[in-house]
Amino acid sequence: MELFFQFVSNTGFYLADYRNVIMIVVGSLFLYLGTAKHYEPLLLIPIGFGILVGNVPFFKGFGLGIYESNSVLHYLYFGVVTGLYPSIVFLGLGAMTDFSSLLARPVLMLLGAAAQMGIFFTLLGALALGFLPKEAGSIAIIGGADGPTSIFLTAKLAPHLIGPIAIAAYSYMALIPVIQPPIMRLLTTRKERLIRMPELREVSKKERVIFPAVGVLLCCFLAPASIPLLGMFFFGNFLKECGAADRLAQTARTAIIDTATILLGLTVGASTQGDVFLTGKSVCIFLLGAVAFSIATASGVIFAKIMNLVLKEKINPLLGAAGVSAVPGSAREVHLVGQSEDPENYLLMHAMACNSSGVIGSAICAGILWSFMVGL
Amino acid sequence: MYGLQAITAHNGWAMAFAGALIVFSGLVVLSFIISQLHKVLLLFEKKPVDFQNDLERPDIEPPEDKLGLSLPKQFPADIREIARLYKPLVEALGETFCLSELYEILRKNDFPHPHITLTALRESEILIPDGDGVFTWNPPTENDDNEKVEG
Repeated sequence: MELFFQFVSNTGFYLADYRNVIMIVVGSLFLYLGTAKHYEPLLLIPIGFGILVGNVPFFKGFGLGIYESNSVLHYLYFGVVTGLYPSIVFLGLGAMTDFSSLLARPVLMLLGAAAQMGIFFTLLGALALGFLPKEAGSIAIIGGADGPTSIFLTAKLAPHLIGPIAIAAYSYMALIPVIQPPIMRLLTTRKERLIRMPELREVSKKERVIFPAVGVLLCCFLAPASIPLLGMFFFGNFLKECGAADRLAQTARTAIIDTATILLGLTVGASTQGDVFLTGKSVCIFLLGAVAFSIATASGVIFAKIMNLVLKEKINPLLGAAGVSAVPGSAREVHLVGQSEDPENYLLMHAMACNSSGVIGSAICAGILWSFMVGL
Repeated sequence: MYGLQAITAHNGWAMAFAGALIVFSGLVVLSFIISQLHKVLLLFEKKPVDFQNDLERPDIEPPEDKLGLSLPKQFPADIREIARLYKPLVEALGETFCLSELYEILRKNDFPHPHITLTALRESEILIPDGDGVFTWNPPTENDDNEKVEG
């Protein structure tokens, strides 16, 4: 009988507290959104399942939990805390990205820059709320709407916040269809939403091959701390475009990125152990994340409107919302909002140009923030 | 420490301003470079082409692939109207044709948004896949028009 009671006292049912239950509900919600609603399923499903795994209560000291130094989950988590998985994800992203639309209309890159303003406004907000500079920098990068970049910078500046920041970043990426359209509609008139974009010029193969080399040199000379992200990103893109290493490009955009995404999602999810995750700071991070993402969307749209004051050929200001780097979610949303006003208006390719420049912009921001915080 | 005092104490204003400025100027420079890239490439390519042209310039200009179609100023939004415009091009290709051939002709004749229009024609079942990348043309009939009006 004693053995039985000892066994029962070691089960998850006995050890569970309300925080584990809350997190299991959150994990189930992620799984529901990813599976039934198809909101970013490739991200929400691994993270949601990871939350379930990470919140099974266990007897401490057995080497089971993600924060116990000799556990399997801890070894897998190594890729997160060192910034390894985000770099690998960027390699795959580069091998998937087609920069043709950006090369055809380079002015759209400015919208990718404008949308990064959300990061710097949030930096100020987080500092004002009493976060330390390194924590504030990690929270601010959520405004870039780029999960891997957020995880990478947080791993370098404030590793203790990886869980809440990663969950916030990925949640807002998944909630793009809920967050962005109202802001886009609020800041634009119907007339502006009806602006049609001209057909893009054809981009030569040479341009597409040269761009990653020029991009990596310029961006990484400017912000060397972004080498782990942008170096891999442009390398992946070069593999894709050069045409001489198709096998490598194919592997990078399929098996490699998928493996990294699975391990990244699962371990980030598992890092949200209720007792570590459910704190006042996490709630603050979630609120600031929402503010960051909304400001980023709004800055892109407002900047597009400002550009229209000087440009002869007007651009549809909805495109500004795609300047955040949530690829391709925000580009798709811009296209859908444009089509809801005029079904013949095709904004997708132009929005992808802003979106890919947003990826570059947020990675540069991560590099800049990292270098600002090094001495602090 | 909270509020503006905390921002000032941690040098927040300078970090935010400098950060925004750096990322903005970086992307402006990159966008300027890529906007000039095709012109630079053209410069490099021009020399050998001119040299070759001097040696091998044909006496007669090669005929253009344009079919001399007069396109309306305002391209129609209705898919049946578009199908009417496309009809002569498709007929020139024969009963079955490759989509890439049709796309190439559309592009050379300056039809707007050829890729998107072809997708719309496929979705409207005006372009019917015949397997192996070959397509047939299924023009919309008058009945289709009447059904649409009645609907």
